[in-house]
Amino acid sequence: MILTRLARSGRGGWLLLVAGLVAAFALPWLIYPPVALDIACWALFAASVDLLLGFTGLLSFGHAAFWGGSAYCTGLIALHTGMPFPVAIAGGAVFTALLALPIGFLSVRLSGIYFAMVTLAFAQMIYFVANQWRDVTGGENGLQGIPRELFGLDLSDSFFFYYAGLPFVLAGLFAAWRIVRSPFGRVLVSIRANPDRARALGYPVDRYKLQAFVLSAALAGTAGGVFSVGHGFASLEGVYWTTSGQAVMMVILGGIGTLWGGAIGAALIVQLQDFLATAGFAETGIITGTIFIVVVLLFRRGIWGTARHLLITRRTPATPADVAAEPKKSVDTPV
Amino acid sequence: MRVTGWGGCLAATGLLLAGCGGGPGGGDEKISDGKVVLAVLNDQSGIYADTSGRQTIEAVKMAVTDFQAKYGDKAASKTIEVKDADHQNKPEIANSKAQELYDRQQADVILDVPTSSAAFAVATIAKNKKKVFIDVGAASTELEGKQCNKYTFHYGYNSYMLAHGTGAEVTKDGSKNWYIVYPDYAFGQDMQKTFSAAIKEAGGTVVASDPTPFPNDNFSTFLLKAPNLDPKPQVIGTMQAGGDLVNLVKQYNEYKLRDKGVGLAVGLLALSDIHSLGSDALAGTRYTDMWYWNADEKSRAWADKFHAKTGKRPTANMAANYSAALQYLEAVQRGGTDNSDEVVKQLEGHKIEDMFARNATIRAQDHLLLHDAYLSEVKPSSEVKEPYDYVKVLKTIPASEAFQPRPDPACRL
Repeated sequence: MILTRLARSGRGGWLLLVAGLVAAFALPWLIYPPVALDIACWALFAASVDLLLGFTGLLSFGHAAFWGGSAYCTGLIALHTGMPFPVAIAGGAVFTALLALPIGFLSVRLSGIYFAMVTLAFAQMIYFVANQWRDVTGGENGLQGIPRELFGLDLSDSFFFYYAGLPFVLAGLFAAWRIVRSPFGRVLVSIRANPDRARALGYPVDRYKLQAFVLSAALAGTAGGVFSVGHGFASLEGVYWTTSGQAVMMVILGGIGTLWGGAIGAALIVQLQDFLATAGFAETGIITGTIFIVVVLLFRRGIWGTARHLLITRRTPATPADVAAEPKKSVDTPV
Repeated sequence: MRVTGWGGCLAATGLLLAGCGGGPGGGDEKISDGKVVLAVLNDQSGIYADTSGRQTIEAVKMAVTDFQAKYGDKAASKTIEVKDADHQNKPEIANSKAQELYDRQQADVILDVPTSSAAFAVATIAKNKKKVFIDVGAASTELEGKQCNKYTFHYGYNSYMLAHGTGAEVTKDGSKNWYIVYPDYAFGQDMQKTFSAAIKEAGGTVVASDPTPFPNDNFSTFLLKAPNLDPKPQVIGTMQAGGDLVNLVKQYNEYKLRDKGVGLAVGLLALSDIHSLGSDALAGTRYTDMWYWNADEKSRAWADKFHAKTGKRPTANMAANYSAALQYLEAVQRGGTDNSDEVVKQLEGHKIEDMFARNATIRAQDHLLLHDAYLSEVKPSSEVKEPYDYVKVLKTIPASEAFQPRPDPACRL
């Protein structure tokens, strides 16, 4: 599948894919391994948000519920059953997909700011449940000491765990890419562009949106699961609305509707936060906020989106497949 | 675009090769990485920034200077560094910062860590990495109970000390009926439980106890309820801390509850809180502290040195961190190495007598520092003779009574 797509898009695609994979594998050699794992997890999380925001036209402000919910669920499975961590992460992802069903069912009828507000409200409900249900979640203290069990392998070194967690992230990103490029994904794009016309063509719009919502939640859940096992920790921070906001910010920085842009946004934000915190600069928000404003003002397509736009416009007219899958208007009508 | 990408790759490969040069040092060296690194991990921007925060780093640096002055050339390590990080009171950040301090900054010990949830996170990391962690800032007794481990020490105070000092002593003094308000999170709940137990033990009654949202700036519902309770409470026990406490005390004064016969006792009060509220706002309030800068000559001498460096008087927290850092360095000196297992062995059961810890021992079974605590009262401004001189010590609670008499059986080191 990858091969045909790459053959169609030419040499550039190959190079980018190889460069991306090399970067993903080289990351823990270049930077502090726990930070590398954070970047990988946030990249998948951002991609899951982009799947909704960039391709379905739904700005979810409640994805923390899935990221953090899965972190708890994964942690509980790993802590109480002692199962190997891949099982725990899968459990977390399934749990979030199930959690996303009722939430999505009630919120996909809305769009724009109303959808954002309703998802935010649900996420805050999850936050308070996690805060109050202390016997299970540990409340303020969070879940501590989540084991990294994998058939007796010693993964206590973050450097090795990065490579244990990476396949989940790559699989998640691949799934997101497949979803976007599938006929199902095309329908989502058409719903984003014009829901009424999609409905007139006979597509059950709400059902498509719900499916996209659940898939996106499962991806966010996978990311959250890897994150919680990686840190050995699940906390309220993960289900708090700022986490949702951070993911949305990464998507906007990287470029809405680009899927890979989220990874760039994640790398930028996580590295920046790490750098500023180690440099003893307390007001991280000022710097990240400034960068955010600059990017939004100067590169309206986001970092990756702008780069891709330049490449596409400079190249001779792209193949029809590219034009369909990479609509140039994607940034201008995000919500 | 692509060109810069490849350039980046080359640069990165260069970095990678450079990084591989310095692998971890040999296992048999006495002092790891050729230096001892003390790391302060605490709140430098939030509600506990004044109680410990950046000043604590100064206090720890003073400990290093004093240690070097004492041993000179005979010191076990020539180089002693102090690093720090801000955990913003969030367990998640504490978790990753602690890993980073131990790994990237070669920290041999982490100090301070206020906020119990953050302290638990660091304790778990310390256990996994087999590195020493001396907690000063967190109150929870679980650090020497369920969450205890071989490499974690609890140094200074805990909720038992606060509850049995303030709760029991104030009750014995005749304020039998209590109304407790506590912030609705781990620390507040823990304090409410230990205070209630201590009050009952001393023959008092808790008329009512109410959780408040956290953080919160309007306490009027709870304060106005107090005088109308049946039986009328003689004292409100507030477990709020930091900014919440400041709000609560201001409102307590606005409603003139002291004139209505309802006194105030504070679970956790720091010198910095009194300083920001003004001593009149808290005059007559009783609380338990682990140290007071103007209590005697020895404390005062150190506080003067601290004042010369920072222009402020130290809180008990800062003094405790000084003492913890100094005792850690002494343990390294005694053992001749900063190897964690050896340092733990040197600290366990060790008797300490310094300007902070009086009649003190580190209990070997649960790594809790037992030392004298002080029942104190805030003076009205008319009695305050110099800046920061806000408190008079009413009574010294001996080390044997100030803390849990027996180690928690839940603790298995």
